[in-house]
Amino acid sequence: MNHKEYLWLETRQFQSRIKQPLQGIVNFLLVTAAFLICWRFFMDPRGTMRWYTPQYGYMYIRWILIVAIWQAYIFNFWPLRYSFMEKTHPLIKGAVLIGINFAVVGFMIWVFYYNFLGRLAIPYMSWPVLTSLGMTEFFAREYSSLALLMMAAIASWLSPIWPVCFENYPWDKLERPSRGLTVWAWTFFLATYIFLILMHPHYNVLFYPWQKFAAAFPWWQNFAHTLSGNFNVGWVMCGTISVWILEVTFERYPFCLIKKQPLRGIAGFFGVLIFALVMFVTFNFLQDLAWGPAVEGAKRLYAPDWRYLHSGELACMLLIPVLVLGFYFDNWPRKFAPSVNIAVRCLIILVSAAVLHYLYYKFSPPLLGTQPGYSHPQQFPMAPVILWVTIMLYHNWFMDLYPGKKLTSREQYLLAPDLVVNKA
Amino acid sequence: MTDISRRDFLKGLAVGGTLGYFAMAGVSSTVMKNAFLPPPKVGAVEIGECKSVKATVISETSWFNNSLLMGDMQKAGGLLVNQYEIPWTNTGVQEGWKGDNAGGYSTLIEVEQLDGKKRKFLLDTGWNVDWTDTCFQREGIDKMLSNKEIEFLFVTHEHFDHYWGVEATLKYYPDIPVIVPKGFYPEGFELLKGAEFTKCHLANKVPHTGPLEVRDSSKVHPVIPGVASITFDVPIITRVFGEQALVFNVKDKGLVVITGCCHMGIITLMEYVRETIKGGDNIYAIQGGLHISPFEDWDPQYDDLVLAIHKYGIQKMGCNHCTGYVTAEKMIAVNLPLVRGTAQNKSKRDIYLGNGDFLMI
Ligand SMILES: [Fe+2]
Ligand SMILES: [Fe+2]
Repeated sequence: MNHKEYLWLETRQFQSRIKQPLQGIVNFLLVTAAFLICWRFFMDPRGTMRWYTPQYGYMYIRWILIVAIWQAYIFNFWPLRYSFMEKTHPLIKGAVLIGINFAVVGFMIWVFYYNFLGRLAIPYMSWPVLTSLGMTEFFAREYSSLALLMMAAIASWLSPIWPVCFENYPWDKLERPSRGLTVWAWTFFLATYIFLILMHPHYNVLFYPWQKFAAAFPWWQNFAHTLSGNFNVGWVMCGTISVWILEVTFERYPFCLIKKQPLRGIAGFFGVLIFALVMFVTFNFLQDLAWGPAVEGAKRLYAPDWRYLHSGELACMLLIPVLVLGFYFDNWPRKFAPSVNIAVRCLIILVSAAVLHYLYYKFSPPLLGTQPGYSHPQQFPMAPVILWVTIMLYHNWFMDLYPGKKLTSREQYLLAPDLVVNKA
Repeated sequence: MTDISRRDFLKGLAVGGTLGYFAMAGVSSTVMKNAFLPPPKVGAVEIGECKSVKATVISETSWFNNSLLMGDMQKAGGLLVNQYEIPWTNTGVQEGWKGDNAGGYSTLIEVEQLDGKKRKFLLDTGWNVDWTDTCFQREGIDKMLSNKEIEFLFVTHEHFDHYWGVEATLKYYPDIPVIVPKGFYPEGFELLKGAEFTKCHLANKVPHTGPLEVRDSSKVHPVIPGVASITFDVPIITRVFGEQALVFNVKDKGLVVITGCCHMGIITLMEYVRETIKGGDNIYAIQGGLHISPFEDWDPQYDDLVLAIHKYGIQKMGCNHCTGYVTAEKMIAVNLPLVRGTAQNKSKRDIYLGNGDFLMI
């Protein structure tokens, strides 16, 4: 018997409280309102906290996202009991889970990075340390935020690959919390390792004089025509988005046809990577078509590194319709063969992303307090988009899509109280 | 069943992978780029010729204490906050001007026409009115304004350090023609008319009574023979939008570009000049702020610039202000032709042109 613990998210069964498409519209509008309120309070340069300086606030956004992924996909909501997940009112459950989310983010940033790793290993991971070394406080905070947000970005590309593509192989037989801890340790190790390759060289050339003995020279310079780590930011973002397109829009198709692990995981990993690179190159090329080729050493619209960053931003804009269609409109359509369903969804997503792109650049200055224009060097459409995404994830994973949907009983899954789910 | 679908799947993956590879190789190849992208344009707009141009730095010290300025921005909420909403530190600054951290940016431009006639314009008008006025008196700008020798005020962009000291100019010449780039906010126009903004400690007590022209990016704007202005639709920190620069065609030398901050980027500016203005493939000199590391901050993108700029074959680089000392040091290290200054009148180092220094082409 194939005995394993399912992801709690996969075992949920929903009942509609409101009919579609009204249900989707209501839920989507609520989530968007929550996003706008949060943005206004925490981020907006005209708002209350004004953390979007920009890197500092953007870092928190990337971290609440990765911690939400850890909570739901890696730790499977441990240490909360399944009965709690099942029976608690979605709003209370949401508050508890978001509380845990914020606490973990605070711990990781303020304790782990600022006061442990930053002090004992890598100064640029801690702004108090950079400031104490004589750097202007504002830039100390911005530079360290960039490092930490990249840590989170790389982790949010790699971490979901384990549950989504590898189905937690080879630890799929473990139960909570051992499986979560193991997969977390492994993916976090990988993320740190890849950070050192993709982002550490950026910090070689960021400081003056160049720190050539402490970090490798940016190895991508010859083919990317920039020293900036934004080259990697761009394609890593495409990778992150690809994982979620595979999970939500493609419902793991066609990789779910492979029954054996780790073959399925490996195929999935490389499939995602190829998909991401094609997306990245296509977006770069679209920009060349729109504005003419990038020019080495130029700024703004023509800066090679900004073009890469913008490709990542374009990928992020794809994610909104991916999640809206998947979470709020039941991944319509479902009635055809998987490949046809997916093709129709992709079409809807591409068109919606183009519309979103147009609307974003038209309305974000009055709505989000950003500045007009595409290539402002101090603003990142990724920040609001990812906050919006994270709030959708909170809504789905932490609050069971309340009020549009509600959980139904899942007795068929629960054989032992509060623990193991059996595969039929 | 599983076997078949797995075989199908692997076949699909192989086809997908191959297609993906060709798509990537194709998209990034020069063949594709040549097929889809238009060939680079060659500048065609004639701007005439002049005999010489001289740029005198009236003030390049926009502020005196960098970390205080950054602290003001940080406290207000970072680089995107509206400049009129930031309570800039204006008292108790030791190295400041009478305790005020505000200085300003302003340059006098003198052009000699082919017929020998001399023409004068003012590029930007500082921030701190008292400091700007002091610099004006040092360079004799006050008299040039009073007797209308200076023909107009060319405001490169709405930034505090380039525009907010407009009272210093209007005090001597209230009806001076003013040229601003498209993108000015209502506050900017109100200031010109004589408004006060208490939050950012800003006021203009002398309302402007002369002509005002707003220039957009649709074309090259002629100024006088041999001189033109170009505008860029560029979003800038502290909510500013749009910047303009001056281009001169100096006989027997080539083009000279003079900027305020150059937020659009000096390479973008030079590429635009090359594509638009006749003779744009020969840019002889640049002068002004090159907005690279104004706050002595850094981004590897700026190294890209330092490493790429030599391709443009510039003979003389007069820079200062928001170019940043780190940038200047890096530029000297790669043998770029930076013109040195004399570190006078509160300019801190002689590494580039400081207050009272000039560049003559
Ligand atoms: Fe400036
Ligand atoms: Fe500026």
